Amino acid sequence: MLRVTQTKNTLLDGATIASQLYTTPQDCEDFFENLEKPTTVVAAPRPTFIRVGVLTTVRGSAYMEYGNTKVMAIVAPPRELIRSSVRRVNMGVINCYVNFAAFASEDLEVVPEREKHLSSMLTKALQPLVCRNEFVNFQLDIRVLILDDDGCLLSTAINCCGVALVECGISTYDLITASTACIYRDHVFVNPSAKVEELLWQHRAGNALLGSSNKSEVEHQQKDEAVQQHGLLIIASMETFEQLAQCQQCGYLKPETYVQLLEYTLEINKSLRHLIKRVLTERVKEQHVLDVREKELERQEDQRLAAIIEKLQQQGLHEFIQSNIKEDPYTAK
Amino acid sequence: MAYVALSEAEKTFILHGVEVISSVPLFNSLFKVSLFLQEDFRCDGRSRRDYRPMELETGLVSNASGSARLRLANTDILVGVKTEIDVPNPLTPEFGKIEFFVDCSANATPEFEGRGGSDLAQELILSLQNAYESPLAFDYRTLCLIPGQQCWKLYIDILILECGGNLHDAVSLAAKAALYNTKLPRVTATLLDAGITDLIISDNPYDCTRIGTDAVPLLVTVCKIGDYCLVDPTAEEEVCSTVSMVVSVSMRNETPFLSGTHMTGGGSMHRDTMLNCIQLGLSMGEQLNKLLVKMLKAEETRVGPKRPKTVGFLK
Repeated sequence: MLRVTQTKNTLLDGATIASQLYTTPQDCEDFFENLEKPTTVVAAPRPTFIRVGVLTTVRGSAYMEYGNTKVMAIVAPPRELIRSSVRRVNMGVINCYVNFAAFASEDLEVVPEREKHLSSMLTKALQPLVCRNEFVNFQLDIRVLILDDDGCLLSTAINCCGVALVECGISTYDLITASTACIYRDHVFVNPSAKVEELLWQHRAGNALLGSSNKSEVEHQQKDEAVQQHGLLIIASMETFEQLAQCQQCGYLKPETYVQLLEYTLEINKSLRHLIKRVLTERVKEQHVLDVREKELERQEDQRLAAIIEKLQQQGLHEFIQSNIKEDPYTAK
Repeated sequence: MAYVALSEAEKTFILHGVEVISSVPLFNSLFKVSLFLQEDFRCDGRSRRDYRPMELETGLVSNASGSARLRLANTDILVGVKTEIDVPNPLTPEFGKIEFFVDCSANATPEFEGRGGSDLAQELILSLQNAYESPLAFDYRTLCLIPGQQCWKLYIDILILECGGNLHDAVSLAAKAALYNTKLPRVTATLLDAGITDLIISDNPYDCTRIGTDAVPLLVTVCKIGDYCLVDPTAEEEVCSTVSMVVSVSMRNETPFLSGTHMTGGGSMHRDTMLNCIQLGLSMGEQLNKLLVKMLKAEETRVGPKRPKTVGFLK
């Protein structure tokens, strides 16, 4: 992603594989220079695709594409708690497991850590959503598979899980929607892509502090005075009563910037909510059509059986059995 | 969190303490003032913005480079900082490393036996990591020895000895105190052939450097009980709360910054409530930070650098 320096190894059959070298702080700098920076902030979601009920093996499943981020969520019906220690809490327990597909991430080293982090944040975000008092002493397992990572992972996972929960028939208080916004060197990015997130991560690890060295001295001094803010904000909200289910922030932000980012994310959440609502109503309609068709088939089957019984009653049993015995082609000879 | 059994009546008692008791109209204006102060009276006598008494000692553990023990009413935390020389990450050649480890001792509550405390420990580690992640919050450059080659790695081991509520705040306070107390031995480098450097660590135990802890963040848990937000909840109050927000406050140039926030407790809150919580958290964090730094400096001047005899619960 950010690893710009690539050397190519030629394989025997002429194909090449790119081996990645370490990035240097300068690479990040160049990358940021080349990055197209939004001049005005448009608080709108990325092109989104949601499909509910993609799997037939589980009751609740959903697949979501948010730009290039692809996520699948699976919700199984609640099952009884095994661990007795959590039983004392008179609420159902939610367990979320986030897994990266083997091909989803380039950096395999940090995957277990990210999985752990995402799982715990997702659990926290979904806890206020589900009516946990309805399944006391039961646990709800939610699994998320990340197929492709292009930023906004947690918020996409939350959206996808919200839809999957509805599909599974778990009662929820509201529809949940989530989105991400970040600020980096005075540029606000809504729905940051993986590149921007990685840049931010690099920044958090320190590169951008060296950053402004190529700028003029005066500017540099100004930068020193005003602390350079950077940070990422993920907001999950439930609009009906304007509740926030989760707000996770990292980085270094002024309170005013925090509020500003919050407004952007809430705006996006609102439009996502419309989309999710539409998808869910479509799904209900689709399911209704299927149900009607199934009923029709059932009715036809009933009719057929009724006709047979009718015939049977008219013919008498013996005759019916005789008429149904097929001659064995071998014994007939 | 630690499990506390509370009946509905007890919960209501706590809730009423937090919420405003309707004031009785009185003609005597002096009386009215005193009645007004009686409002917002939690069950241990504090107001919503008060912390419980704290006890802080530093430099107790002789084997660690820095240590602190904090007792916040019933919450007891012991933090030790170990140091090690490591190779810096090639992406950040000028930065040292920091690693947190939280151990929930089974002494704290029987629930922590076996792997019972691992969820809580994980949560504490994640929120500390999140708060310390920004280079503005913790100056990783003070941990640098030779850029690109050698740096210090700090292991911050946090031991929870007793759970009395408000673990996030207590842990972050103790961690900051331990970092303040941490002394890194002075290291001199000699350049050998082929650009290889050799480190010489000073033999004198008093010849050491300190870590810059000015901007080190503190976590403030703002707990929502009933319609009100309060800080420093006891274990009983935590049971009554629907949702709480952990705000990490880092002070830089006398202004508070947010270096990480998240919500816990399994509830949701309104946008305005959340902003109130952040405001409360920021102002409390500012005060806490000021007090902590003041107390640490006072302890240092009073006890002195040589610390002839450590008086603490460990000795």
